[in-house]
Amino acid sequence: MDFALMWEITPLLLKAAWITVTISVMAFILGLAVAILLVIMRSASFRIIRWPSRIYVSVIRGTPFFVQLLIFYYGGAAFGINLEAYTAGLLAIGLNIGAYMSEGIRGSILAVDKGQNEASRSLGFSRTQTMISVILPQAAGLMIRSLGVLGVIVIKGSSLVSIISVVELTYQSQRIISSTYKPFEVFAVSAALYLILIYGVISIVDWLYDRYTRHLHH
Amino acid sequence: MNFDFTPVWDNIPTLIEGTGYTLLIALFAAILSLVGGLVVSLTTLYGKKIFSYPLRFFIWLFMGTPLLLQLYLLYFGLGQVGILIPALLTGILGLGIHYMAYNADIFRATIQSIEKGQTEAARSLGFGRMQTLWFFIVPQAVFRALPQLGNNMIIMLKDTSVLSVIGVTELVLNAQFEIANTFRPFEFYISIAVIYYMLNLVMETSLNRFEKKLENRR
Repeated sequence: MDFALMWEITPLLLKAAWITVTISVMAFILGLAVAILLVIMRSASFRIIRWPSRIYVSVIRGTPFFVQLLIFYYGGAAFGINLEAYTAGLLAIGLNIGAYMSEGIRGSILAVDKGQNEASRSLGFSRTQTMISVILPQAAGLMIRSLGVLGVIVIKGSSLVSIISVVELTYQSQRIISSTYKPFEVFAVSAALYLILIYGVISIVDWLYDRYTRHLHH
Repeated sequence: MNFDFTPVWDNIPTLIEGTGYTLLIALFAAILSLVGGLVVSLTTLYGKKIFSYPLRFFIWLFMGTPLLLQLYLLYFGLGQVGILIPALLTGILGLGIHYMAYNADIFRATIQSIEKGQTEAARSLGFGRMQTLWFFIVPQAVFRALPQLGNNMIIMLKDTSVLSVIGVTELVLNAQFEIANTFRPFEFYISIAVIYYMLNLVMETSLNRFEKKLENRR
């Protein structure tokens, strides 16, 4: 092991890891916005609004994220749109994860006992009030879990934007490996950074989960 | 906006060949990840510490880092230690090992979910430790794991697309080869997205049917 090299490349990889963090966080927020829109559309009373949401989720989940990314970056030219690599990557991750998030959110809402809705409605709460103050608090636990898993998937998936040359952690690692021919040393450092990010997110999610489900287990 | 799908149509044999490779890779990687995953999970649960601890570390490391980074490690790392194997084999190994960690995690959970009474009953009937494991615990655990394993394999089929990055000739790389000749990225990427969607649909429908059958058996 070439420890001197590992020490030398750490600042570069840290800088790249920061790009991984920012693109992941922004993509996650974009994904949430997309997901909320999809869930609302899915619960609409008109088929014309429900179906686009279903088709979107099905297409996104049925095709590889990698191909979606390539379409975003290289396919835009057919429409006269040329996105910057970072923007294309961010949009591709956000639009992709939003579909998965919408399923997670819907699943946790549907998992709440139907009687809760009926009871609340018969007590005179409106549909919106019931959703906000009765259903969502009970769905929060499950929702945190599934969104947390997707957060981890976002971080791992963000490594693919290296292919369209966004200088994030995997891009930088690959570049250093091919210039130094020291794959194990470089992997050790960048794997350590990914592990900190990913298991960090998992611990935060576990903590949040415990906080929001404390009422369930005394 | 101008679309021209005739180059895609003219090069359909290349895409069919790519689809064949994609399926072949997915099949072999699936076998590797399932068999390996079972062996790894059994070792982490029942093996000696010198074997179980490193394998636990392997699961933790490979679930906490992105597939692409692992592929780079394998691709450059094998060359570094003087092992030169065809890209196709590297791809199958990389994908298989990545999903081995995920499958091992699933197997571990389902093996632990088998009631203790099963072991006690088998042992008191005179079966040895290994026999109990092999004839009573493993079959039930595998049975319980099937839906989740199926889901993992569907995700893996989509992840075969990433192998194009390390030069594995599968659907994406074959498409990129033709894109270089025809300069029609959008048309080709959309077409292969359709192929992936159909493969995914077939796998999802068969998994759903299979799950229904399993439910009926219970």
